[in-house]
Amino acid sequence: MGKLFAFIVRYSIVLLFLLLEIIAFSMVVKNNGYQQSVFFSSSNSIMASMYSISNSVIEYFYLKSTNDGLAVENIELKNQIIKLQNQIDVYNHSKKYGSVKINPDKEINFIYAKVINNSTNKLLNYITINKGKRDGLYPDMGVINEDGVVGVVSNVSEKFSVVIPIINPKIQINSKFAHNNYSGPVQWDGHDYRYAKLNDIARHVKFADGDSVVTSGYSKSFPEGLLIGIVNKHNIKESDAYYDIRVKLCVNYRTLTHVQVINYSNFNEQQNLEKSVE
Amino acid sequence: MILFLQNILRFIILILVQMFVLNNIRLLGYINPYIYILFIFALPVKFSRPLSLLLAFILGLIIDMFSNTPGMHTFATVLIAFLRNPVINLYTSIEEGANPEPSFYTFGVAGFVKYIITLVLIHHTAFFILEIFSFIGFGYTLIRIILNSLVSIIIILGISLLKKK
Repeated sequence: MGKLFAFIVRYSIVLLFLLLEIIAFSMVVKNNGYQQSVFFSSSNSIMASMYSISNSVIEYFYLKSTNDGLAVENIELKNQIIKLQNQIDVYNHSKKYGSVKINPDKEINFIYAKVINNSTNKLLNYITINKGKRDGLYPDMGVINEDGVVGVVSNVSEKFSVVIPIINPKIQINSKFAHNNYSGPVQWDGHDYRYAKLNDIARHVKFADGDSVVTSGYSKSFPEGLLIGIVNKHNIKESDAYYDIRVKLCVNYRTLTHVQVINYSNFNEQQNLEKSVE
Repeated sequence: MILFLQNILRFIILILVQMFVLNNIRLLGYINPYIYILFIFALPVKFSRPLSLLLAFILGLIIDMFSNTPGMHTFATVLIAFLRNPVINLYTSIEEGANPEPSFYTFGVAGFVKYIITLVLIHHTAFFILEIFSFIGFGYTLIRIILNSLVSIIIILGISLLKKK
């Protein structure tokens, strides 16, 4: 007996080593058991919560590609909505009058583009986008993003286009109040990229700060009702006939990455008709 | 006491780094370096052997739980914890009564590098053979062992270089 104890004490480390290795090895061999899989799997609640923390960090690295994907998907959905709306119109119209017709001003779809050059700190700001003639772009198309109106396409090359944004005094966007349809042009005054001026609103028009300003639909570039901005401040001097209105633009030009170009199918027809009158 | 806290901290940091950084590296489809064994390497030379075996067991178990490899890391880690002292005796001559932590300064550059290389190779060989669990396709396993060991050794030596006396 004494010899056995002496043996155990002498080789205790080897025995402990063998014991631990046998436990480990039996885990390797018997890793099919249900208990083992529950014990070891990462659904184990502590592990799961730690992994969710690590995932929430890693997610940030993939935000950019996720954004790109969502932007493209958004455009597709928007185009589908327009198509469906037109079909509903056709259906209602044919029920009433027995003939089929789509309102010509509603035949639009959107083209997705990425902003590759952009400025906000100059007087004459321009935006360059990565779509051009070969993607079906031509001058005077309207450009929007998910927040509202961005600007108008001015020059088009084979692969790129230059957009004049609202924050460039060279263009005026024809706009109106959403609630009472009084219209006037929105133009930038060259000071702050967040604000623009709404001109030609006469003294008798009733409105308040916070009213939304939308596109009027009087141009070929934009359909009616796209958001441009919100009235931020207005005042009028005794001697003036028109209000001095400051509009807070909905689009943040500093963070602009994706835009949508409005492709109006009847652009040429409308333009030719209007030219023939002049 | 400082030594105790230092080791606890090392234990935790190595596990976190292993889990959240290194296990997400899939270089060339082969390489997944394992550096958590640095904890075993850095224990003082005369550290209690039963305790070091138990610590190795716990360390391997935690790594196994994170990476869904039941028993494999545990087996390999306990193995190097057991073989650590013979390897130290083989490559270095520690004075009687001294109890240094293994490093470039205490073992000398050649001794320390040999010590790390031997144990990393043993650990990785045991682990990858257990992972495949057969000698079929041994060429592939061999490539994995060599590439992974190389990267692990470089990282571990790099970390050791940072350590002051």
